[in-house]
Amino acid sequence: MADKYLVQPDINFINEVRANGGESLKKCFQCATCSVACPIAPDRKPFPRKEMIAASWGLKDKLLSDPDIWLCHNCGDCSTLCPRGAKPGDVMASLRMMAINEYATPKSVANAVNDRKKLPLLIALPAIIFIVLGLITGLLDFSPELNEYGEIAHAKFFSTWLVDLIFIPLSIWAVAVFAMGLKRFIGDIHKNAMAEGKTDKETIDTKGFLSALVRVIPSILKHSKFSECGENNNRGTPHMMVLFSFIGLLIVTSVFFVVLYVFGIHGPYSQLNPIKILANISGIALIIGAALLIKQRMDKTDEVSTYKDWYLLWLVLGLGVTGMLAELTRLADAAFLTYLIYFIHLMLVFHLIAFLPFSKLAHLVYRTVALAYNEYSGREAKKI
Amino acid sequence: MSEAQGAPFSGSILVVGGGISGLTTALEAAEVGYEVFIVEKNPYLGGRVAQLKQYFPKLCPPTCGLEINFRRIKDNPRIKFFTLADVEKVDGSPGNYNVSIKLNPRYVNENCTCCGACADACQTEIPNEFNFGMDKTKGAFLPHEMAFPNRYVISSRIMGTEDAQRCKEACPYDAVDLEMQAKTMDLNVGAIVWATGWEPYDASKIDNLGFGQYPNIVTNMMLERLAAPNGPTKGQILRPSDNKAPQSVAFVQCAGSRDENHLPYCSYICCMASLKHATYIREQYPDTKVYIFYIDMRAPGYRYERFYEKVKADENVVFVKGKVAAVEDGGNGQVTLVAEDAVSGEKLHQTVDMAVLATGMQPTAVNAKLPAADLNYTEDGFIINDLDKGGMFATGCANRPADVMMSNQNATGIALKAIQTMMKR
Repeated sequence: MADKYLVQPDINFINEVRANGGESLKKCFQCATCSVACPIAPDRKPFPRKEMIAASWGLKDKLLSDPDIWLCHNCGDCSTLCPRGAKPGDVMASLRMMAINEYATPKSVANAVNDRKKLPLLIALPAIIFIVLGLITGLLDFSPELNEYGEIAHAKFFSTWLVDLIFIPLSIWAVAVFAMGLKRFIGDIHKNAMAEGKTDKETIDTKGFLSALVRVIPSILKHSKFSECGENNNRGTPHMMVLFSFIGLLIVTSVFFVVLYVFGIHGPYSQLNPIKILANISGIALIIGAALLIKQRMDKTDEVSTYKDWYLLWLVLGLGVTGMLAELTRLADAAFLTYLIYFIHLMLVFHLIAFLPFSKLAHLVYRTVALAYNEYSGREAKKI
Repeated sequence: MSEAQGAPFSGSILVVGGGISGLTTALEAAEVGYEVFIVEKNPYLGGRVAQLKQYFPKLCPPTCGLEINFRRIKDNPRIKFFTLADVEKVDGSPGNYNVSIKLNPRYVNENCTCCGACADACQTEIPNEFNFGMDKTKGAFLPHEMAFPNRYVISSRIMGTEDAQRCKEACPYDAVDLEMQAKTMDLNVGAIVWATGWEPYDASKIDNLGFGQYPNIVTNMMLERLAAPNGPTKGQILRPSDNKAPQSVAFVQCAGSRDENHLPYCSYICCMASLKHATYIREQYPDTKVYIFYIDMRAPGYRYERFYEKVKADENVVFVKGKVAAVEDGGNGQVTLVAEDAVSGEKLHQTVDMAVLATGMQPTAVNAKLPAADLNYTEDGFIINDLDKGGMFATGCANRPADVMMSNQNATGIALKAIQTMMKR
């Protein structure tokens, strides 16, 4: 660490951290209980005590590029033991939200996603796009026929061509936004780690970093950091359910896509098809996982929950519920209902993909990268 | 100490608590002519100060300050004191309070010469509360060697046993009276001063600091007893598990203090107490290392600051800015304390032979409700003085955390306040 450091407080930043759920920030008196209470903070430059003082001083640049805010899994153990009720866990969560905003472009979308008042607009957006594009291309049929087996097929209403016409560019957009953000993010966290003495590495070598990434993936899938948590330990299982159902549904969608375009076979699949079974299991797990996460957040009144937390949780639950309902109403031959629910389901999918780099869900990418970087940096192994 | 006769002014003052604050208020009021009653729940006067090895500001042994006060009490006919006594009921208003006091039996009368024959005869051993249960005394015991009044006590725990009978038979002076009963006494007083003092905060409530889980984690008051020449180890600071001289001792400051989950306030004295304890250890063991883990060191005033500087200059005393928040087994009876050094930003795992939790003061009134209805308390249980209303006052640590010097200053002022209540009468 440099001997001299000129503190240039960013007052707006302090206010933003407080407004984003870190209201209690200024109660901190730097006793450092939190860094010890944290079951996953490393011995070398542990968190979140240093983040608490940096936030108090408004050191925006130091914090948003701090990989440690992503190592935090919001266990809440620090907040429970905090002698002052400064809730470091909530401050870390607030910092993560702000970091997502920082690395996402364009800013206008980021701000809209995080603004409760813009929600009606964001809901209307996919509906308008679907209807306008659908009418222009004629791929949206408001009086759909049954398929050749006399069954309801969602594709007769909302053509798979239209789905892919919208969602393929949308996915490319999400990847592009992430790519731009990540490029800056990785450079910044490395600079931060060097400045704070969290790494001995001078540069990031791609091969080493990728192998670190491969090393951390199993622990992410197993949620092993989650299980070290004391206070919020019960959040691990539902979170795992949600993650695995998303992976399951990603597999289902990819298989469906390949089968459709390579073999020209349309859905809906038989309920006995292994892909359909995977889809159903994932859908149910998604609903249960999301519902449990919502319930746990509601029960945990001593932890701050912001609009951004709720937006994501209800979106995930909505995805699961509309997905399963669209299938059930289809099987029940309720034509109008099933088309309506399917339409809403696609709107939610639009939200998930389009706003992925801007919403809290972006933690999927940033936390993974930060964990990989931490593994790469050699910080955990070395003790001073 | 005799019956008050012909006091120059009417009205008398009740002082509840015979610690350093209560004694000071009582003496100041009595020496300007008022009749004073001291009610003390323990079998001896002197309170917490009597338990210390040395006390601030001059690091005197407690005998130094207490003996002169006991002498003044003996010489003053206007002071009456009652030990083993509890205030049970208070009625009335400023200038005119009716107080019921329960006098618990001591089972030993004025004939006692402290020969110790009763203790020799007694076979039952009971935990020694004066030493925080670190050793045992006989069922017939002298609370401590400088106890005033200098008279043995027979514990109610051995009443009705053969041991009690043995004590009675052993006494050559006919001082053991097993027929003694609890009595209630009514007093009419003009003012009441609550000098009910403090209790060390219950360290076992601090889950993450391992008290009660590891025998070599003690509290600051326990260390005071270990260091005191009349303590369980005769002044040798030895770790409890194996009576070994510690080669390293760590102090955990703010243990349960300045903490919303425990005592939210600063107790004022614990930093100075740990600095003082560091000197005890360093004087006894020239090679022992001392670690002091703190949030902020508080050494208020010129004298305390100088004391802090002196301890800091000792290279065997290491100060670490960072609160200990976890404790692990260090093996061989040792304990490992975990803290983040907030200056270097590194997490430390310090293994030591013995750890001392610098616990704070909790007002006695929190765990033993006072019988006076119209007292106002802070959220933390300290009594708020209503100086305009008068009549009842709190002094010393019943009012706020304080050291002996502040307590005495405050107690002198409160003596005057009590007198003013009577003048208005």
